[in-house]
Parts: sequence; structure tokens; C-alpha cells
Amino acid sequence: MTCRVGIPRALLYYKYFPMWRAFLEKLGADIVVSENTNQRLISQGAALVVSDTCLPVKVFIGHVLSLSDKCDKLLIPVVRSTAEKVYNCSRFLALPDLAKAVVPGAPPILEIEFDYSRGKLYLYRQIYALGRNFTANPFKIKKAAEYAWETHKRYHEITVQQQMTRIEAIDLLHGDKSFEIKKEPKDTLTIGIAGHPYVLHDEQVSHNLIKRLRAAGVSILTPEMATENPDSNDNGHTQFAGLAKNYWESEEDVVGAGDYYTRIKVDGIIGIMAFACGPDSMMMNLVQRQARSANIPFMSLTVEEHTAEAGVVTRIEAFLDMIHRAKRRKEQCV
Amino acid sequence: MRITFPHIGNVYIAVKAMLDPLGVDYVVPPKCNKRTLSLATKYSPEGVCIPFKLNLGNMIEAVELGADHILNVTGHGTCRMGYYFKVQEQILRDMGYDVKMMLTGLSENKLRGFLNLLRTVSNNAPWRKILSSFAFGISKMTALDDMEILANNMRAFEKNKGTITPIYRKSIQAIDDAADYRSLKRAVKEYGEKMSSVDVLEGHKPLKILVVGEIYVVLDPYANMDVEMELGKLGVVTNRSLYLSRWIKKGLFFNPLGIDQWRDVHKAAMPYLKRDIGGDGWETVGEKVISTGRYDGMVHLAPFTCMPEGSAQCIMPSTKEDLPVLAIYCDEQTSKAGMITRLEAFTDMISMKKAAVLSR
Repeated sequence: MTCRVGIPRALLYYKYFPMWRAFLEKLGADIVVSENTNQRLISQGAALVVSDTCLPVKVFIGHVLSLSDKCDKLLIPVVRSTAEKVYNCSRFLALPDLAKAVVPGAPPILEIEFDYSRGKLYLYRQIYALGRNFTANPFKIKKAAEYAWETHKRYHEITVQQQMTRIEAIDLLHGDKSFEIKKEPKDTLTIGIAGHPYVLHDEQVSHNLIKRLRAAGVSILTPEMATENPDSNDNGHTQFAGLAKNYWESEEDVVGAGDYYTRIKVDGIIGIMAFACGPDSMMMNLVQRQARSANIPFMSLTVEEHTAEAGVVTRIEAFLDMIHRAKRRKEQCV
Repeated sequence: MRITFPHIGNVYIAVKAMLDPLGVDYVVPPKCNKRTLSLATKYSPEGVCIPFKLNLGNMIEAVELGADHILNVTGHGTCRMGYYFKVQEQILRDMGYDVKMMLTGLSENKLRGFLNLLRTVSNNAPWRKILSSFAFGISKMTALDDMEILANNMRAFEKNKGTITPIYRKSIQAIDDAADYRSLKRAVKEYGEKMSSVDVLEGHKPLKILVVGEIYVVLDPYANMDVEMELGKLGVVTNRSLYLSRWIKKGLFFNPLGIDQWRDVHKAAMPYLKRDIGGDGWETVGEKVISTGRYDGMVHLAPFTCMPEGSAQCIMPSTKEDLPVLAIYCDEQTSKAGMITRLEAFTDMISMKKAAVLSR
């Protein structure tokens, strides 16, 4: 019987899922992805961890819980760093141990640690150690890893070149749905959204922010679409030009994107962050200050497990109305 | 160029001792108070942790007193601390203050970075002078920690409640005033004897509680609302895993030589937490494992929304070593009465548990 490997649909899923899937499928494992986030899952997860844990981790624990009887093993990679002196948030490093500690009866956890500062050999060893769970053949593992890396690169190309969100790109890669790329007319508003993929693309967590904006006829930009140079490598896809040097690996989605939006002069920026997110509490502030100095309207949305959907809708409507009105007035003056 | 530095506990005394002989123009920000906190919360991002806020408050108050250069530490790693300076600088600029941060990376440059920083602020004083003033600062730090250890031990035994604390306060003042090694030694001896000779309760068997957690809130009595003093008033002996003098000596001096003071603690944490998660989270879990049996309980201090301590707190209940832990979150909503009630309940609970075990 093939081994069923569970992957929680949370946190790093949005960034690396195609890569993991390619690797594991090449090695002959069955992939089980947890269901879409829903309110029950969030409250179950939140009940298991201390209350000041950030929302995405609560969601993650909920997903682990929902997977615990559906799979034989659970894949929880630890991404410590992907560039020199750029580390990931502390919460990500504790994930496997956290899942083991708070979810009783969780299946055995497959860990793999990515750490740039420890060099390539360490990475290869980690990949091999993970692959050993499925096959003893090192060449097969090597092939699977190379295939996974190719898939990961393609995943990024798609998001940048076709201006797709990560979710759409994942669906496209796996042929689950066929997409038509809708070209919005040029004169609509362009809103840049700064925020982590696990907040932005989780429809339950972000209260359908992207869908709502699109329904309002706004063309949106998300961090993964932002790029200076489509050929640039994976972790340099947004540049920290004016603002700051990158300190957290996951913060390029916020600061890098915010920086990009202010340079290309979007009509407005929405910063979406989870309550109690450590890095965002500082980085979103920097983006906000930058947007203010560039005279671009900025709205900060903080989501948590109790956020009322109606409140979010009202705020989005008010924000869009404000921008529309300002734009109209400017046109009349000209 | 007028220099300032944010507060952390009594460290300002040691920094003063380092800067004085070098002839540096500096200003010590007022000790943390209500105004510091309200300034800090007004200008900080709302979700950020209390060390950031208090540091910013110190900076604002120091800048009002004419400071234009700020000594600060940074680091690379996973905790917010390494990035404080950038955001604080931005906030101060937006407030209209023109300040410059003078930084040293603690995790990468260790002792050398700090000494280089001293050299820069002293306008390239000779190394001999820098090293001697640094050594004097460290001995003041050691003296301060010795006094604090003694006070935290003796407070549990004092017959008349509230005799130790005034002596301790005076001892800090005396250490601060000491201008050379001789007067420092005299101050330590004098106040040490005073504290050891207070009337004690006969036959008092106090509980022993370990205080662990994030370094800033453990070291700063304003941020943790004097938790050790309050525990002492309840007749409890407290100890901590973290004293700054030891931390500096071991972390900055011996660590580059390959000696790791945390090795045992990390080893103990291994079954529950396999890697360094930044801040002091790994150590917190290890301390719980290692202190079971040695202490009657543990008080875990963390700033609200602290990432490493939050993870550590989620993991701790799952250890098979069973040590009662009281988690106290420190933020700007100070309510000392609430904390004291919790401490009373906690100490009652562990003393009842202890009595039950003994009578069995």
C-alpha cells in the first residue's frame, strides 16, 4: 500500500505546495491535502494553542487536526532561511514540534529543514533523509528533487508572467481547472495588496478579499505578481529597493510588494495582516509610512478568528469609494 | 554628539561606568515611568511587543533631553529584536527628530563589535582605556547582579516585611556612585553584610521558584512589574536562568572560545523542541525540563505576542517532566493587583501540592 502523506493547507503550502507535491508524487506517495479552511477548523485549532498565537498558526493547527486520521504521515517542512542572513519567522521553526505537542494522536511527522547558512551539503542530506522514507534509491531521490525544483520554478514563472494568484497557478499546474485570463479594461483602479499568501489566499481568513475586489471591477496586484525582472531567481522576485534590507524570509511579500506598489504608483494599497503576527506588526508599519510619503491611499486590515465579515466588506467599499472619488475630482480639475 | 541608550533593568549603571572614564557626552533617559509608556504606545505600531515600546519611549525622552546618537544592539535571527532599530529610527524621523543609530550586531560581532562601538563613541580612545573602562562596567554589572541575587534570596526570610527592599535600593545607588574598584568593593561588602544581618524568620522553609523567559522582561523590573520582589514578599526564594553579567561573560566572551553555557539546557529541550526558534524560546523549554525536581515552580515571563516564547508556551505542557508553570504576559496594560493575585494563587497551589506529597 502506498504511503498517504498529509499536507496541511496552511502557511507554507501556498508558497511551496507544487514543489512538495512533485517531489512526493515522483517517489510514489499519495498526497492528501486538508480541506479548505472553515470556521470550525479555525476554532478547533485555536482551542489547542495559547490565545496570543497568531491566526495563521491557529489555522495550521486546525488543518493538522483535520488530517490526523486521514493520512499515515504528515509533511511539515521547516524553512529556516533561503538567503544569506535572512531568516524565517520564529513560528515557522517551531511548527513540527508545536504540532506534535498540541495535537494528540498526530501521525508521525516528516521534517525537512531548509537552511541556507548551512550550505548545500546540508540541504542535500536533508532531501535525502526525507526521500529515504519512500525509497532507498538515491538516484530516484535526486531525480525527484530536480523535478520538484523545476516545478517550483515554473510555478513562479506562471504567477509572474500570467499575473495569476498563487491559488490559480496551483490549479493550473495540476490541471484541476482551466482558466481564462481576463484582461480588465485599462481605466479601472489598480489596487496592490500587501500580505502573506497564507492570509491573502485563504478565503476564510481574508474574507474573500480578492474575489470581492475583483467583483467590484478593480484590477488587483498581489505580491507574487510583483516583479522587477521576470528572469530573476525565486527569492529575489521583489526587490527591497528603497525601504529596508530583507530581514525575514516571509516579509518580502509585505515590504517588497509595498515597495513595488509605491514605485509603480498603484491607486491604493491594502495591507492585510493577521492579529498577533510578529513580523507584520513592524513591517506593515513601514509600508504604511512609505505609502503615506508617496501619497498613495493605504488601508490596513487586521484579521483574526472573530473578525466580522460585514465589517471588512464595509471597509473595502469605503476605501474604494474614497479612491474613486479622489480620482474623479482629479480628472475634473484637469 | 550626545549619546543615549535605551534602558534594560539596571544596565544603565554599567554603561555609565563604561562611558564616564572615556569622557563621552551622554544622557541617561529617565527611568521607565508612566509617561515613557504612554509616549511609547502612542507612537509604536500597535501590535509590537513591550520591549520595543519601552525602548522607543526611552529614546523619545532622551532625545527631548538633547541626545542625537542612540546606542543600540541588533542581530540577525528570527526575533523582532534585530529589526527594532530600523523601525524606531523611522518613527523618530517621522516625529521630526534627527537621530542616528549606532549599532552593534550581538549575534555576529559579539564582544568585538561592542568594543568597537565604545571606540567609535569615545572618538578613538586608546584600546587600553577602552578595555579598562569596559572591565569596570562589567564588574559593576556583576556587583549589581550579586546584590540582586542576595536580595531575592533574603526577602523570603525577612521577619519584618519590607526591610530588604530599601537596603537593596540603597546598594544600587552606592554601586552607581562608586568611582573606582575600591569603593565598589566597599559598597558590595557593606550592603551585603547589611542584607545578611536582617532579622530572619526562624524555621521558614520557603518555596523555590525559577523565573525564566524573554531576556528584556526578565531583566527589567518595570516591564515585569517587580515580579521577583512580589514573590519575595510572599516568602518565596526566586532565582533566574538569566543574569546579565553572566550572560555577557559567557555569551560574549566564552562563546567565541567554543564554550556554550546553554548546552545542557538545549540538550534537555531536544525531545520536545529540536531547534533554536530565536529569542529565548529553546532555553525556556529546556529550563523547564532541567529544573524539575530542583525547583517547586516556574514563572514564565513573555511580552505579549512574543513569537518564540509563545511557541515555547504551547510546547511546555506536553513535557513529561511535570513542573508547575505560571505564564505572565507583559504588555502596556499594567495591572499589578491582577498579577499579585495570580502569584498568590500560584504559590498557594504549589505549597498545597508540596504538603500533600509530603503527608502521603
